[in-house]
Amino acid sequence: MTQTVQAEPTTLGTAAARRRGRPSGKQPRARTGMNARSNKMAYLMLAPVVILLTIFVVWPVVYAVYLSFYNWSFYTDPIPVGWRNYMNVLGDRTFIESVGRGLLFAVMVVPVQLVIAFLFASLVRTVSGRVATLLKVSIYIPTIVSGVIASIIFVLIYNYQGGILNAFVGLFGVEKQAWLGNVATALPALAVPAIWLGLGICSLIMLAGMVDIPATYYEAADLDGANWFQKTFFVTIPLMKNIFLFLLITGFTAAVQQFELPLVMTDGGPLERTLLPNLYIFQHFRNDTYVGYSIAAAILLMVVLGSISAVIFRVLNSEKAVDG
Amino acid sequence: MRINRFRAAGLAAAAGALALTAACGSGTPGQPADTGGDDAPEGATTVEFWQLSFQDVENEWYEAAVDAFNESQDEIHVNLTQVPGDAWEQRMTAAQAAGNAPDMYTIAYNGVVSAATTGQITSLSPYIGDDVWSDVQEDVLASISVEGEHYAFPMLVEPSAVLWYRTDLFEEAGIDGPPTTWEELQDYAAQLTTGDVYGFGAAQSAGDMGWSTWGLQWNVAGHLPISDDWSEAQVGDEYAPLLQAWQDMYKAGSMPQQALAGYADANPLGEGHLAMNMGGSWFASVLINDFPEMVGNIGAAPMPSFHGDPEAPTATLGGWTWVVDAKSEVPEEAAAFIEATLGGGDDEQLLEYFAGTQFSKYSPRASVNEALIEAAASSENPWAATIAEQIVPFSKPEASYPWDISMAFATALEQAMQGTDVSTALADAEAEINRLIEANQLAGTAPQP
Repeated sequence: MTQTVQAEPTTLGTAAARRRGRPSGKQPRARTGMNARSNKMAYLMLAPVVILLTIFVVWPVVYAVYLSFYNWSFYTDPIPVGWRNYMNVLGDRTFIESVGRGLLFAVMVVPVQLVIAFLFASLVRTVSGRVATLLKVSIYIPTIVSGVIASIIFVLIYNYQGGILNAFVGLFGVEKQAWLGNVATALPALAVPAIWLGLGICSLIMLAGMVDIPATYYEAADLDGANWFQKTFFVTIPLMKNIFLFLLITGFTAAVQQFELPLVMTDGGPLERTLLPNLYIFQHFRNDTYVGYSIAAAILLMVVLGSISAVIFRVLNSEKAVDG
Repeated sequence: MRINRFRAAGLAAAAGALALTAACGSGTPGQPADTGGDDAPEGATTVEFWQLSFQDVENEWYEAAVDAFNESQDEIHVNLTQVPGDAWEQRMTAAQAAGNAPDMYTIAYNGVVSAATTGQITSLSPYIGDDVWSDVQEDVLASISVEGEHYAFPMLVEPSAVLWYRTDLFEEAGIDGPPTTWEELQDYAAQLTTGDVYGFGAAQSAGDMGWSTWGLQWNVAGHLPISDDWSEAQVGDEYAPLLQAWQDMYKAGSMPQQALAGYADANPLGEGHLAMNMGGSWFASVLINDFPEMVGNIGAAPMPSFHGDPEAPTATLGGWTWVVDAKSEVPEEAAAFIEATLGGGDDEQLLEYFAGTQFSKYSPRASVNEALIEAAASSENPWAATIAEQIVPFSKPEASYPWDISMAFATALEQAMQGTDVSTALADAEAEINRLIEANQLAGTAPQP
């Protein structure tokens, strides 16, 4: 009973706090005028972005949703097909498997990328300025390499006949492997360049997050006799929660949507084992007479990615300002 | 009207995005070449012509043909744009979205029927006379026709499957001549596999198998894996020998564990990594130009027939046609250019194309083909006569059903190669093709020539 009574003011307080942000008609007239002027200016300054977003994001998405209910090409009038495109996509085993494969690919890429980037950023933070600069430049280089070029480089590395990797494993008496032609190794073989390409930006963001942590926290920990692991697990990682959240969300969606690597390196093979969702959609866009199916698949993928991102936000509870 | 305006705005936004993509694409190797655009005579009707960029020698022929036509008269001016293969889809899609598609362009045989039935290209029958069409081979004509209307003018045909083999390696191994049965092929492939040389190379990914094995599908089963009216899958045990052959050779190591290159690539054969290579007739041109020292050691023969009939098809006739866009405002002028260049206006010039490509391609026009075979006899292509006489006459046109159907069968072939039980792979293909028929409402939609 006591608990219930105590809970009510808290709830009301929260609601009041939420209402506080809204304009109120009961405020003094002068304040209202100032607010109105501020709002006008705010709307004015927001307008360019809102207009651009509407033209290039909102409207194309709305129009894409509209088109997904049609059989549509550039040469004929759209033919309404209701939910057929969606039913066809959901009934296509290849699409469902490609989404599952995209998630698996993200699981292969993102955690490894985060761990390596965290260790690298920790290393950079501990070394002197000149060495740190050298390390930062080195780790960032893959980021500026085109995905297509990276794909070609890795194809040469994995090449069955004359590839560098097979030459290397051959030194240990291992028979040459069809890294990209074997159903068991093809997807992990794609994950390696994906990790390599994303490592630079991931490391620098991690480093920025680490540098942002007040030194006093570490000084206090030192006074308490904390070692490196304790400082890492009880200071660094908790204070970088939002950084991890950002990298997790962006890394996850980027990995699921990876397109260039499977396109150039395997074209989705062998046996569709590297057919990631975007490549699946692209292949349909390229080959289908009508584009409604591809659009429906793209929208379903958007729903999947949005849902996963929402779950990650929810699980990591990002709205709390962890260092504030 | 309002919806149309919205649609137009949406299309403009999409076209803008695609145009940006296309612009990025043009930065890739091989810039488009434009010719004929600056010197259009006053009052002449301009015809925009996009050509997929091929080998240099082919591109040069296209430029010469356009220049010759432009110089021959002053009423029509053709403006040629050569578009690299990696940018074609993006550029064409962006142009179509923006309503700026070229008046005419090159298109492969297997895309013609689909483009015709969906209203992307216009019929050429009203503009080109029957006397011209009558010279085109019947099978080829059927593959570009829908309900009696001809929607494309065929420029060339290329058999998709020829057995290229190393005569020197055969001799060293004591093997007489190319295999004539699949048992022999598998046996020879095993014998010839040594070190870095594999006995047999062919398509090994579904994307390549999808089109390169159409001929073998005809050969082993007597039909393609869908009924003529596209109402049901036809994937029975009759296809088992084909899948079994791939599985056995892959397992035995006679085929590499990963294709050494894409199906269209003759380099592994030229570089000496393959003793036998299933490949298209276009290999001839590559071998003569890039591996002249190997020409004397390479022979060409039809792929073996599964049931022993040497006249059963083992290849399909792929190749390129010229079409006129459905939205072109100058279809008559475009058709006039097509007729003058491909339809008999100047066959000497057309023969130059086949000579330039070392007679590795063939004409779908009977009269040109006769002259071509005669000229090929004295050419540096030692395989032209074999291909023209033993493969081309028995080849089938390319399949015109949606590509997904071909991929479903090819996936079964790849599954079998990777070790899946043949019956299971065929059952999967049958189920998938039936699903595609249902999902795309294909039943009864097969176009009639």
